Amino acid sequence: MIELDGVSRFFGAEVAVDNISLTIPDGSLCVLVGTSGCGKSTTLRMINRLIEHSAGEIRIDGHQIRRFNEEKLRRRIGYAIQNTGLFPHWTVARNIGVVPRLLKWDHAAVDQRVRELMALLGLEFDEFANKYPHQLSGGQAQRVGVARALAADPGILLMDEPFGALDPITRANLQTELLRIQSHIRKTIVFVTHDMDEALRLADHIVVMRAGRIIQQGPPTRILADPADDFVETLVGGRDRGLKRAALTRVGEMMEPADAGAPAAVATVTPDDSMRLAVSLMLWHGVSRLAVVDDTGRRVGTLPLSRLVDDRP
Amino acid sequence: MRRVAPPLVWLVLLLAAAWLMPVLEPLFGALAPDRGTVIYPRASFLSLLGEHLAIVGVAATMAIVIGVGAAIVVTRPAGAEFLPLVSQLASIGQTFPPVAVLALSVPALGYGPKAVVVALVLYGLLPIVRNTLAGLKAVDRGVIESARGIGLSPGQVLWQVELPIAAPAILGGIRTSVTINIATAAIGSTIGANTLGDPIISGIVNNNIAFTLQGAVLIGLLAVTVDSAFSRFG
Repeated sequence: MIELDGVSRFFGAEVAVDNISLTIPDGSLCVLVGTSGCGKSTTLRMINRLIEHSAGEIRIDGHQIRRFNEEKLRRRIGYAIQNTGLFPHWTVARNIGVVPRLLKWDHAAVDQRVRELMALLGLEFDEFANKYPHQLSGGQAQRVGVARALAADPGILLMDEPFGALDPITRANLQTELLRIQSHIRKTIVFVTHDMDEALRLADHIVVMRAGRIIQQGPPTRILADPADDFVETLVGGRDRGLKRAALTRVGEMMEPADAGAPAAVATVTPDDSMRLAVSLMLWHGVSRLAVVDDTGRRVGTLPLSRLVDDRP
Repeated sequence: MRRVAPPLVWLVLLLAAAWLMPVLEPLFGALAPDRGTVIYPRASFLSLLGEHLAIVGVAATMAIVIGVGAAIVVTRPAGAEFLPLVSQLASIGQTFPPVAVLALSVPALGYGPKAVVVALVLYGLLPIVRNTLAGLKAVDRGVIESARGIGLSPGQVLWQVELPIAAPAILGGIRTSVTINIATAAIGSTIGANTLGDPIISGIVNNNIAFTLQGAVLIGLLAVTVDSAFSRFG
């Protein structure tokens, strides 16, 4: 568990982070979101002491982080940044193994761990282990960056706009990957982004920051349903919010049981698809009813438009 | 990259020239027909080559330690205030002619190799300091930031990340410095150090072009040998 208690950071007379308090429970994915210069990166970097906090207390599992040796603290916290920060003169395998080697793991254990992580991140060992960072695509390099951050099996993972420099398709893939990995490893993740869609997609808990303060925090659905002020409302997309909320809802939560007598539907979705996709399919095919099928193609339900709207005049 | 003869070939040529110079007496005799002696007689070329190399080697070692060390210190947070001072001092070191440094260091250190070494160290510092600074500054901030962020100590960041990434630039500076100083060391002969400059000075003083040529050819070969070694192994 990470606790920030009345934490501030001053740079000279300037206040970068202004008296914020925040609790991040074990195993949750907390996203700090806001425009540039709002203090979200500074907050993240205070947790691993790349920046020292000027006031307040930061505790990890109840212990003040100032009590730890800086390097030892950081070796227990994974860190991944935009543009990866991979060491250009080291191979992929050596980059991933750097923290375990700092922790004096023996050679075989490091090698074993590197193989595990490359498999977890979908990087073929034989193909990538001996490549250098400049030989990788942006998405591959970022996977290596995440693998390096996870190498010593830290309880906490800090990610500073890790997917910010990637094209939209690669970014979406890596977001899916991160959610998949997180469902296996259950780390405490603090993730910084300026992209509200990314925040809504990934977060268990969203923290909206502005000018060094926390404006609102809560689960994504609550931020969407009940933005605290105009600023948050703009961030969550104003009148586009309907689609954003649909993107967070799964078809399985909304469908009706399949009725045997219904006519065959033009288009199908699966229970795990988002409602946003379902609405898009309805608009595209000009239908008011979709068939819901499972992975094997068996019909498990039906989704009529009337489930989405109260048909008030 | 352009092809250069391997350093070993140059080295063999250099040693052969130093050792077998007397064999070429008829050739030099044709160049300076009115001279009695056409092969520089006062010392063997091999011993001059050895002393020349020793002077350059000592000066280069000192220039590398001081130059790379100073550049590292001023790129650390604690030494950052001295960055402008050090860059300026290094530039001044090179605008100062080595002859002037010799003139000033002789009264302090006396005649002989010590004064030459001091002049060469001062003269050779700039390329090393400048290239080391440029190499260290060119290391991506994100790489350093993430190195610190995953738990490398400042020393580990320097030795495992910054210096290896900056190494090609630093080696380039050392190469320039050493090559320049191989040529510059010849002026040491004017203040009593024995170098390959001896035959050149003697040739000028005695109006004997053969002596001058012998010294010049050996210095040239030495510079090319060392330079090709840097390009092969650097």
